[in-house]
Amino acid sequence: MDNFDVLVVDDESDFRDSLIKRLKKRNLNVFGAGSGEEALAVLKEEAVDVVILDVKMPGMSGIDTLSAIKRLKPLVEVIMLTGHASVEVAMEGMEMGAFDYLMKPMDIDELLYKLQDACKKKRLNEKRQRPVSPRSTGIAS
Amino acid sequence: MGEQELNELRASFASRYHHFKLLLSANNKALEIMSDMEKALSGDRTFSMSFVRSQSTAVAVNVFSIVKNLDALAPEKYGELYGRLKEIQEGINETLAARKMPGSDRLVIPLFEIGRNMADVVGSKMANIGEMANTLSLPVPDGFALTSAAFNRFMEESRLQAEIDRRLQSRQGENISELYALATEIQNLIVSTPLPDSISKAIHEAYQELEERTHKGVTVSLRSSALGEDGSETSFAGQYRSILNVSADNLDSAYREVVASKYGLHAIIYRQSRGIRDEDVAMCVGCMAMVNAVSSGVTYSQNPLDSADDSVIINSVWGLPKSVVDGSVAPDMFVVKRNPVEISRREIRLKTQKFVCYPEEGVCRMDLTGKEKSLLPSIDDDHVRALARIALNLEEHYGVAQDVEWAIGPKGTIYLLQCRPLKQMETKEAKKAISDAPTVIVSGGGTASPGAATGEVFVLRKSSDVLRFPHGAVLVAEQALPRWAALLSHAAAVVTEQGSLAGHLANVAREFGVPAIFGVEHAVGILENAGLVTVDADGQAVHRGRIEEILLNARAGKKNLMEGTAVHEALKAAVEWIVPLNLLDPDAPSFKPKNCKTLHDITRFCHEKAVHEMFAFGREHHFSERAAKQLFYKVPMQWWIINLDDGFDKDIPWKLVPLENIASIPFLSLWEGINAEPWQGPPPMDAKGFMSVLMQAATNPNLESSMPSQYANRNYFMLSKNFVSLTSRFGFHFCSVEAIISERAGENYASFQFKGGAADLSRRIRRAQFVADVLEEFGFRAEIKDDGVFARVEGHDAALMKEKLVILGYLLMHTRQLDMVLANDHAYVTHRAKMLDDVARILAERAAKTPPPTLEPEPAPAAL
Repeated sequence: MDNFDVLVVDDESDFRDSLIKRLKKRNLNVFGAGSGEEALAVLKEEAVDVVILDVKMPGMSGIDTLSAIKRLKPLVEVIMLTGHASVEVAMEGMEMGAFDYLMKPMDIDELLYKLQDACKKKRLNEKRQRPVSPRSTGIAS
Repeated sequence: MGEQELNELRASFASRYHHFKLLLSANNKALEIMSDMEKALSGDRTFSMSFVRSQSTAVAVNVFSIVKNLDALAPEKYGELYGRLKEIQEGINETLAARKMPGSDRLVIPLFEIGRNMADVVGSKMANIGEMANTLSLPVPDGFALTSAAFNRFMEESRLQAEIDRRLQSRQGENISELYALATEIQNLIVSTPLPDSISKAIHEAYQELEERTHKGVTVSLRSSALGEDGSETSFAGQYRSILNVSADNLDSAYREVVASKYGLHAIIYRQSRGIRDEDVAMCVGCMAMVNAVSSGVTYSQNPLDSADDSVIINSVWGLPKSVVDGSVAPDMFVVKRNPVEISRREIRLKTQKFVCYPEEGVCRMDLTGKEKSLLPSIDDDHVRALARIALNLEEHYGVAQDVEWAIGPKGTIYLLQCRPLKQMETKEAKKAISDAPTVIVSGGGTASPGAATGEVFVLRKSSDVLRFPHGAVLVAEQALPRWAALLSHAAAVVTEQGSLAGHLANVAREFGVPAIFGVEHAVGILENAGLVTVDADGQAVHRGRIEEILLNARAGKKNLMEGTAVHEALKAAVEWIVPLNLLDPDAPSFKPKNCKTLHDITRFCHEKAVHEMFAFGREHHFSERAAKQLFYKVPMQWWIINLDDGFDKDIPWKLVPLENIASIPFLSLWEGINAEPWQGPPPMDAKGFMSVLMQAATNPNLESSMPSQYANRNYFMLSKNFVSLTSRFGFHFCSVEAIISERAGENYASFQFKGGAADLSRRIRRAQFVADVLEEFGFRAEIKDDGVFARVEGHDAALMKEKLVILGYLLMHTRQLDMVLANDHAYVTHRAKMLDDVARILAERAAKTPPPTLEPEPAPAAL
């Protein structure tokens, strides 16, 4: 899959910077944000395809940020990434439409696959939103 | 069909296919995690709560993903699954919830209020000290305890716990040196985090009250008193910090240092190995007036090395008890008979140093000279008898043998510093059958922990060697130091030249089930370059190389380390909601969402339905009739192909698709296997049998027009570049192959399902066994249920996966010989041998044809 735009949201700057650097090496366009508020600001300006979102941040929580992203840009896919495994929070995130919920430590290749899958889903959804015919295909998703 | 209509259909198909792929990927991941959890349960390694939480969360997320993607394939149809999932998830949550902490919210409790029943508030060490002081009126230095409430408040208010949990979960692998770095990081974090004001204030108020009860400027010792620290089953001794002779100025930082020692390397490894939940260990701290000891030591109310000997054993040194506890000085030893109390033996040893208090703060080490050094006993006979009586008192009070630490003040007063249950070794017939086998390199010493094991020798000389210790090596060292304990979860066996069989290292070795021999003379020099050895702890000998016989004899005794621990229980409870499979038969009326009791059930249900929906989509839209193309290879063949996505290398406008335009990687490998070996046997015995039809379909193009056009009776491939699904159904027979092959090794898999037949059940079962047997030979995991076989292989790189598909293709064509195989055992064996030969040859020819893959440099293992 060719390159697409990713936003990394994590309050821990060391982790964020190193992830951004590594994803850039894989030829992705990567933006960074240190908080939920900052993430929303970036999303308003840039055409981001997939957001990698830390679950536990001071200020706006990951879950609140997820819900704000889904309101602002419903087609943008969000992958939650966390150092705090919690079945409850994970399910909450998935129910709110997160594409996936991954736990640190995270294999970079696996993360890349998830990003590609998420981006592909977004592209497919975009295509189907564009009306190709006045008739519905009858297939929802 | 209009162009636009077809495009719409394609677009929705592409989307469906993507959902299907995501579902398969989540399905594989979920199954992988389940098998990982089951393996952990069997006790082949140790794990912590963060493993249990991460795996439970990951499996729940993937199953959610599966349900969501199935919902996208068949909107609303299986909506009920969300409810089932929710209920199961709540069940899991309950099993993982942290235990309620004790109700008391007092941060500090003075010693005179503490009793034995307060172990969950002040830790067992302080509870015992309180018991000695208040119930038994024994002399104990005055002091107070910082409670579990204080610890919890510190960890919560400063957000330390969340940060520590995050770092522990995010850690990489099991590598000791990385874990060491992490342990250091976490301890630094704790030490550098200011105490909440409420705690600091409570400490200083308690200290002032202690000053009033003792004297102005009293210095104190701070000792760990973690919850569960001194339980009789686990020996935490020596893993946490004690800080001696602390002045008022440094109470806060000393408290934080003791708290931080909860995350020492040894302690982390120890908790994990013993299945202790991190969150169950609140670090309480005992703070007691310092005794500037003239001499001190440890009393065992019975012989720790021999449960048949009830003599009291007293070890004593000059100065503070530090040197007897850490083993740096050989102590004087007194053996006392109990009834009546009578000294039966004295061993006065060479004592080279002692620890004493500096007047203001801290502890110093002094070299000893003169008579004090070697001639004078460090305690007199009156003290010996008094100490023995105290130990016997305590034994009677608690009902079990005791291990008592004490100090004697400048005026000769005995102060008790702690007491705990003594762990005694079973009496053992001294096995003096010193082996004279020619393989013995060195022998002698005592069995510190029974059993036998093999590994490469690694000699430990200094602390930093710990970080280089290879997993599974035999630990060889001069002394049995407590600090080697952290390695015992990594070591195969332990051999030392010196060390007490009752010491910390021996205790931990026994708990871990690591064979150990202590006191083997010249072991370091002799074993230094020995390489691979077998340590026979029961026979007190080290053998050159790997001696199977010895290992086999010892293996019977190996135990599951985690069994019965809190962490193991938590995993077991969670697994109950996750792993058991109740929905076995997709054709049974009970195969319904409401009967999904576990995540595995949901996974199984969804996978079955997803495959069904993918086919149904084609049927309901008459898609297969229009979109299915007939395979053309020299002539039109009886195979139909549905291109899901990018399975052809270009648009094919015709009803026939030439083989050379097919770009599906797994299809081409399967096809290669189907055609690899021409069928030369006799005509099929059962003309109506599935395999014969399959064969004819593949080889006899004349059948084309006579085939019924019903979907159900055709051989259908659905494919994309990385995916193939073959479904064949004829009469009573059903067979399917499904595979994904891409550069994502983790998602690669191939499955093969075969079921049915017209023969009687026992013959069909025999056939299923044969197929399973052959598949297992080629690295598939095969399960037989009645007359069905389900085989699966996954997770290999693309090259190996292609080979597996070639094998499946071959088997598809050639298992029809099974009709004959059913006849007798001889045929079974012959046919099995022929098939294995054929496959070996096909793979060899294939390897000769295929140029070796270009060797790309392996990227370094990357994780975040």
